Amino acid sequence: MIQRIRGWLEIRIGLDELIRSQLTEYRVPKNINLFYTLGIVAFVAFLVQSLTGVLLLFYYIPDDKDAFQSVQLIMNHVPYGWLFRLMHVVGSNLMVAVVFLHMISVFFLGSYKKPRELTWVVGALMLLTTMGFCLSGYLLPWSQLSFWATTVVTNIPTAFPFFGEVVCKILRGSEQVSGATLNRFFALHVALLPALLIALFALHVFLVRRIGISAPPFGREEDEDWKEFRHEDHPDGLPFYPHFVSKEAFMVVLYFIIMFAIIALAPALFLPPDTRIPADPFTTPEHIRPEWYFLAPYEMLKLIPNRFMGIAAQLILVTVFILWPFIDSSEKANILKKPRLLATFLVTLVIWIGLTIWGAY
Amino acid sequence: MRYLLTVICFFGLVTASQGAWTDISEKDFLKTPWAERPRVEQSACIDCHASELIKADYQKIPGEWRQSWHYQNRVACQDCHGGDPKDAAKSMTPESGFIGVPKPKQVPEFCGKCHIGIKDNYLESGHGKALMTTGRGPNCVLCHGSHNIQKASIDIISPKLCGVCHKYDRAKDMKASLLLTEQKISDIGKSLETLKAGLISTQDEDKVLFQTQAEFRTLFHTVDVKLVQEKTGEFSKRLNAINDKVLKGFGELKFRQDFAVFIMLIFIGLGITIFLLGRKSK
Repeated sequence: MIQRIRGWLEIRIGLDELIRSQLTEYRVPKNINLFYTLGIVAFVAFLVQSLTGVLLLFYYIPDDKDAFQSVQLIMNHVPYGWLFRLMHVVGSNLMVAVVFLHMISVFFLGSYKKPRELTWVVGALMLLTTMGFCLSGYLLPWSQLSFWATTVVTNIPTAFPFFGEVVCKILRGSEQVSGATLNRFFALHVALLPALLIALFALHVFLVRRIGISAPPFGREEDEDWKEFRHEDHPDGLPFYPHFVSKEAFMVVLYFIIMFAIIALAPALFLPPDTRIPADPFTTPEHIRPEWYFLAPYEMLKLIPNRFMGIAAQLILVTVFILWPFIDSSEKANILKKPRLLATFLVTLVIWIGLTIWGAY
Repeated sequence: MRYLLTVICFFGLVTASQGAWTDISEKDFLKTPWAERPRVEQSACIDCHASELIKADYQKIPGEWRQSWHYQNRVACQDCHGGDPKDAAKSMTPESGFIGVPKPKQVPEFCGKCHIGIKDNYLESGHGKALMTTGRGPNCVLCHGSHNIQKASIDIISPKLCGVCHKYDRAKDMKASLLLTEQKISDIGKSLETLKAGLISTQDEDKVLFQTQAEFRTLFHTVDVKLVQEKTGEFSKRLNAINDKVLKGFGELKFRQDFAVFIMLIFIGLGITIFLLGRKSK
């Protein structure tokens, strides 16, 4: 039966040749490491979010009067609803962590260098889209934390003169965070952002396959200058399948182990007490604190004495982050041979971690 | 590259200049409560009581209130004393409904504005009747205090407090009657907190427990030992029903944890297999 299906496909799409060219004879660098698998882990994380998200949609009601109760229903009465919601909540945090790690490793390995500037830019946009997912999804349970965190976030654009108030109103759909805001964020979360992320993902994969996988820059001579397009081959490398696929599979499994360890041992890690109280526009919680991945920007906002300056500084940093390959345009990829860049990288990382810890306490 | 830096510098300069005319102190938006009824930290009452112009004893009041259960639940000066906390001139006028220190007979009405059921039971009790007829019976503040009011607990019934007016014997019997039920309420409350921390919804149980606790404490204010003993069985029944649901909740919590561990172990096994196969293929 399998042979017949295989034969059928062979005639129509040239299956054997496809497997040979894309898997068994496709070579990856010999010294490729586990960090190169983070892209596929991020993709699997997105698939998990999509699948669990669709399952949650069966019972979730995107209405300010019913949203909280529908989430309670999912958690307590829908068979295995708790599992899918926790997978979705824990998965969203893990997805951000994986994408962060992916970007950090790409930076450290110099994989954003010519000719991969576009791949970096698309990847950075995917990180921002992931954050957009987190932000829009945060409001949907309509809890105290979601309501007030969204109030703070949607208030941020008002720091900008001329158009700030308009942007805030467009985001909220009303003067205050309300059912209209919930509808808008819901539409963003389940329709617009998934479409955007899929499009960016397709472009990202296209660029990776079209240009070829980069080799770690350590212990090798720098590449010659790229004067014209060519696919980067690794004729002395190892086959994509099974060598690299087994690495990818291992990391994907590790992702699930971490996810279920959190669900089993610390299910409320990402759901503090204020997420279990329905939104109350008349009672502000004691401490409004964003999720861990927004703690550094949050702390930075608190440290910079002027709100506009704080937010503008962050926009500049984001712009620099997206356009980094054009700022660091030297062709040397090995960061260990560039002490100033290495120092900048390490200092930025330490500041980021420091601000995150500071913001948490 | 040069063009890019120019763009960034330009953006930075525009940012800085715009920032200059944007409200400098707007940073407060991160900590400002947006609620229509924020916790009162500043009012005409607090301002005046914090000043040196007022008697030393009265200066202590805001500090005591900040330690109280009322403060934690956003009950402010005007909620009990009336008056206008926003206008110093009118804050203590009779027109604004201000009552500074209520007379003993006025106290039940003063506190009963919110604690309605308790007020009714108290007024029917020996305590309440004594107060209303002689003006000298124990009122709310004698047992609960006035400004530093803490969450009510059974420990209020003590030889020190009850002994101010009478022997402790009857109060001791009352405390013994209340003790088991109070303990049960407290244990169930703790169990519900554990379930909540495990993400099991306890909304319905919370409501029933709160109602049961409120009714039980209201009943106590009749200071009728016999009545409390009679009704204890009924309360026990209600608490047992909640406890059954709590036990079910713990069963569910255990199942969830075991199920997640089971899936995690499957993935660990899968990971080991992939690792070994990967080594073999090398």
